[in-house]
Amino acid sequence: MDAAQELPDKELLSRHAQGDEQAFGVLVRRHRERLWAVAIRMMSDPEEASDALQDAFLSAFRAADRFRGESQVTTWLHRIVVNACHDRLRRRKVRPATPTEDETLDIISNERLGRAGGAPDHASQTESRLDVHAALEQLPLDQRMALTLVDMLGYRVEEAADILEVATGTVKSRCARGRAKLLPSLAHLRNPGPPRDVTSGRGGANPS
Amino acid sequence: MTSHPDVEALAFFAEDLLESDEERSVADHIETCALCATTIDELAGVTRVLADVPAPALPQDVADLLDGRISEAATERAAADRPARGLDTTQPAEPGTPAPVTSINRKRRGFGLPKLFMVAAASVFVIGAGSAVVGSLMAGEPELDSASQLSEDATTDSAPDTAQSYSAEGVASGTVYTEDDFTTQASEVLNGAEADDDMGVQAEESATLPQGAQECVAHVEAGTDAHVTLVDDALWEGTEGTDRAWVLFSRESDGVDVLVVDPTCARGGDLDSAVLAEGSL
Repeated sequence: MDAAQELPDKELLSRHAQGDEQAFGVLVRRHRERLWAVAIRMMSDPEEASDALQDAFLSAFRAADRFRGESQVTTWLHRIVVNACHDRLRRRKVRPATPTEDETLDIISNERLGRAGGAPDHASQTESRLDVHAALEQLPLDQRMALTLVDMLGYRVEEAADILEVATGTVKSRCARGRAKLLPSLAHLRNPGPPRDVTSGRGGANPS
Repeated sequence: MTSHPDVEALAFFAEDLLESDEERSVADHIETCALCATTIDELAGVTRVLADVPAPALPQDVADLLDGRISEAATERAAADRPARGLDTTQPAEPGTPAPVTSINRKRRGFGLPKLFMVAAASVFVIGAGSAVVGSLMAGEPELDSASQLSEDATTDSAPDTAQSYSAEGVASGTVYTEDDFTTQASEVLNGAEADDDMGVQAEESATLPQGAQECVAHVEAGTDAHVTLVDDALWEGTEGTDRAWVLFSRESDGVDVLVVDPTCARGGDLDSAVLAEGSL
């Protein structure tokens, strides 16, 4: 298998589609770190990110002969991972977990993060992660996906547009809308101080 | 004092997305309004906050799990593939032989609009066999037996009308499908349908199909080698407005094809003119 490690992505995918039993594994090991980063940012919860990543790689495994060579294999893999995350986020929106379940998940993920991360300022980082996560949950999924790719993961707008299969202008406007919506809930993370009453500015925001 | 632009307008301004008139007025406003200038800074701060969220590296247990699932899938495929490969003459005889990249782009077997009127009854049989071997994306989990069960049912029956030997399931998602996003939207509907029904889309009843849809499905299946398993009674946002449309899901050996048709297709005739869009999931 030493030779396979050197093969370009497209060749590996081609060999896999032709029945090679090892080629896809090489592809997975080559890209899994990067795609995990995408999944964990999208899902926030490690369990769900793991599930989404497995769904995605198995989808790609089975759909390899649909790859038409018009995009990079990495773009195609990103697209599949992003779609798998999108499906899970959507289901989460449709059937929201009970608050207790949600809290449990957050505690579990905190513990995991604590073990894996060893960040210097663990408590405040965790706090901000949870705040960001909660804020992201309020966004429409399209905006959330665009912001995750561009702002959280640092993809260029063009790359995000390729992955999401939309125009670059669409990515930009989704990001802009998302940032505008996040501003009230995230402003305190960089400007510590008395929390402002953000709803009063819009007037009559209270539901009847 | 002029009224402040809303935060979204400021965010659009920062991304250079405003029309020139509005851009000029926002630019003028920011010149004299410290509050809005600060908001623009804070918007850039949102990006920084998002970029700073810590993300753990790939845990070893997840990496191991992934390796395991993939090698399991490779073993299953190898076991299922070998006896069946002889049936499919489009496949090279020697598995594992390096092939040129172009061979991946083998002809798609989905709705294949250009060949709509080249009806090949035998192709229905070939598709069925392929589904049984490869399994199906439509069946969320590889272990879901109902998918291969369906394919086997179809293949045991080699008559040309095999395609009508089972019924498509209907849903009415209320989705307004758009040209740009219909494949994404279709994926959502498909996942929703599967989530609502553990048996997937292979329910045996067609009671929920809207009137005329069954004729439309039959018409499409007669003109293509598609197996329509799900019909979404929904809306399509076209250039001339939003109208009722049916979204047909066809399970293929390697995924799911989607065909958006307008209900006139139930009347038969030229299928091409009723097709609004076509895509793959």
